[in-house]
Amino acid sequence: MNGDKLVWVAPAPHVKHNDNSRTIMLDVVIAMVPALVWAVYMFGFRVLSVLAVSVASSVIFEFLFQKILRRPVTVLDFSAVVTGMLIAFNLPASVSLWVPVMGSFFAIVIVKQLFGGIGKNVVNPALAARVFLFTAWPSEIGGYVEPLSEKLSPLTVNAGDIVASATPLASLKLGETPDVSIFDLFIGNMPGCIGEVSALLILIGGIYLLLRRVITWHIPVSFLGTVAVLCFLFPQTQSVQAYEFMFMELFSGGLMLGAVFMATDYATSPVTSSGRVIYGIGCGAITVFIRYFGGYSEGVSFAILIMNLLVWYIDKATRPKPFGYIPKKKEVK
Amino acid sequence: MNKNDIMCCKTFISEVEALALTFRGGVHVPEEKNTEGKAVRLFDSPKTVSIPMSQHIGAPCIPIVKKGDTVDMGQIIGEVKAGLGCPVHASVSGTVIAIEEKRNSMGMAVQNVIIENDGENRISPEVRPYEGSFEELTFEEVVEVVRRAGISGMGGATFPTYAKIQSAKDKVDTLIVNCAECEPYITANHRLLLEEPDTVIGGMKILLRAFGLRVGDIAIEDNKPDAVKLIREKVKGSDFAEVKVLATKYPQGDERQLIYAITGKEIPAGKLPADVGCVVFNAETCASVYRAFVYGMPLIKRIVTVDGDCIADPCSVKCPIGTSYRELIDFCGGCTKEYRYIVNGGPMMGAAQWDIDAPVTKGTSAVLVFSEKVKPVYEQPSACIRCGRCVRACQMRLMPNYIATFSREGKYDLCEQYDVMSCVECGACTYVCPGSVPITQLNRAAKAKINEKRKLMKGGAK
Ligand code: SF4
Ligand code: SF4
Repeated sequence: MNGDKLVWVAPAPHVKHNDNSRTIMLDVVIAMVPALVWAVYMFGFRVLSVLAVSVASSVIFEFLFQKILRRPVTVLDFSAVVTGMLIAFNLPASVSLWVPVMGSFFAIVIVKQLFGGIGKNVVNPALAARVFLFTAWPSEIGGYVEPLSEKLSPLTVNAGDIVASATPLASLKLGETPDVSIFDLFIGNMPGCIGEVSALLILIGGIYLLLRRVITWHIPVSFLGTVAVLCFLFPQTQSVQAYEFMFMELFSGGLMLGAVFMATDYATSPVTSSGRVIYGIGCGAITVFIRYFGGYSEGVSFAILIMNLLVWYIDKATRPKPFGYIPKKKEVK
Repeated sequence: MNKNDIMCCKTFISEVEALALTFRGGVHVPEEKNTEGKAVRLFDSPKTVSIPMSQHIGAPCIPIVKKGDTVDMGQIIGEVKAGLGCPVHASVSGTVIAIEEKRNSMGMAVQNVIIENDGENRISPEVRPYEGSFEELTFEEVVEVVRRAGISGMGGATFPTYAKIQSAKDKVDTLIVNCAECEPYITANHRLLLEEPDTVIGGMKILLRAFGLRVGDIAIEDNKPDAVKLIREKVKGSDFAEVKVLATKYPQGDERQLIYAITGKEIPAGKLPADVGCVVFNAETCASVYRAFVYGMPLIKRIVTVDGDCIADPCSVKCPIGTSYRELIDFCGGCTKEYRYIVNGGPMMGAAQWDIDAPVTKGTSAVLVFSEKVKPVYEQPSACIRCGRCVRACQMRLMPNYIATFSREGKYDLCEQYDVMSCVECGACTYVCPGSVPITQLNRAAKAKINEKRKLMKGGAK
């Protein structure tokens, strides 16, 4: 039948699910598209240049790093693309174009590759980059909305050319009521970073990821749920109803982006389901804590980074009991 | 949504609706039951059969025939001299043309008795139905008849059935007939249930009697609604059998998970089903028990699903033990493409075969022939992305990703700490892993290393 052609003799199992790192990363990219389209609509086409620079530099850094160290080149798994996109999502549209390059370098080379590449990094590269840029060049990151948006986007309502302090989250922190309605916050009609403004579109992306089984519900639900409960129980301002305050907190700042796209990053979140819930609750609690008591109005990045560091311990603590587990007796010698 | 997602939804809905029984973890593998609608075809004219003397767990048999002997169907040709094991019988009538050593799929050298088929299907005078009364069957009689009939587990594990019965004596209150058939492609049990339900039920009755039990469970996955319906009808009005419908999920047919799904009991690590009062028999094993009693016919034929993308006309075939894959494949229309991958058993746990002339044994539930579409899992570059899918898939509730990482780094002590010894090598983790990590394979390696070490330590203590 076959002449002398050899056959494979490999140990079982012999079949594999079609999903691989690339299909998963592509799904993440697809899930980010709605928020991206909205950002273009809101802030103009400059969004795309930031994105392009960010993605391109991430991929190039990964490629160069692996080439120089003669490691197998893995840029085709698209994880660098996702990191690049997330970095752009965390920057304002008005940012100078060298900033995402610095961010990509930090994320890919320092945070990801020096720790051993995909799956081995301890903290989320995009988030680490965000915090790094935020600390190193606060003025670049702070300029949330520029007149640019006015020129290119017809939808810039009251944000106009007001800078930094006008983000709704900052107003909330000062105990003021932001001048954006909850509905506007929800659909994303407000100033902010490229990818974080529209809670609605981020949620749609999240639902897509859930349906594609890329992520599980545990982290987003426990994260957002914790923030919601804490904000509802302890509203920071009396000028609005507790539930209104809760929604404002939920829909503003980087919370949605963080809960759906950043905290669910595989490498830096627990692998067990119960661990993921604990991790989500931790993220939520720390976020609220920083938003209430910290120096910054934004707490999501720090919260996730802190929880990132605990992932290994959470995994260990939530290790399931094996099937048919027999409690170990003390060894008698 | 792809086919798989739809299956998941379907299973989910059926879990809600019919409360199909199941276990925690597991995966949905595309079922590929291409042959479920096709009647079993009988192939009883292989030119030669090559019957291995070791087809079960335990000591190999010693051939008791010589080259040139004439043998009849059902005649004993290999006996176990000592230890665990059951005899092997001639599956065709004809002449012994050689007794030679061949390597089996595990790489072990095993003696094979090769018989040229004379096509006369002469039945040996040794084949005699059980003469006593079925009502007065004793436990010992059942054990002896089953042993003499050479019956061993036909689901793939090939544990001698008489030994299983013996070890479960006076311990069991639940007898389960396993018709889950959770591996993709395989439809041998499904077809058996549809075409010869009475043999399965009859065999179960005999086994029930041996254990002095009144009721047994017949466990069927819910992807075989026709079989569920038929068996329900068959046992309606009688009170000795209950049909249990299981969710379709891999590895539902694993003894541990089957027992868990039906009784809620977990077999403690390292123990046997009998230790939680259960005993599980494969459907075809039951049918063989029935034939051994009613016709006196030992286990010399079995149903094999022949499938895979190379096979021209996939179907389940009933053939004598010892038939070569080559003849079986030719019987199914031959190969349409060049084959690259031959699997004995299901694609999740079956053993890859290098020899297309390898014989069908008592444990061969399927022969799958694939083209280069199927590639060994470890051929692909791999990296764990920590997605956690393997953790959710693991029926034994391990953390396969950690174990695999430790195993790859050679940290076998850590593997042991993470309970690698509980791994049953079901392959679910490797199947779902998007990082293409050969987790099962790495776990297997770690287990082998740890066993080696344990043996050494035992030896040192002496
Ligand atoms: S399924 Fe594969 S990639 Fe995912 S955690 Fe397990 S080993 Fe890692
Ligand atoms: S092969 Fe082992 S580790 Fe993997 S899912 Fe099966 S039991 Fe768990």
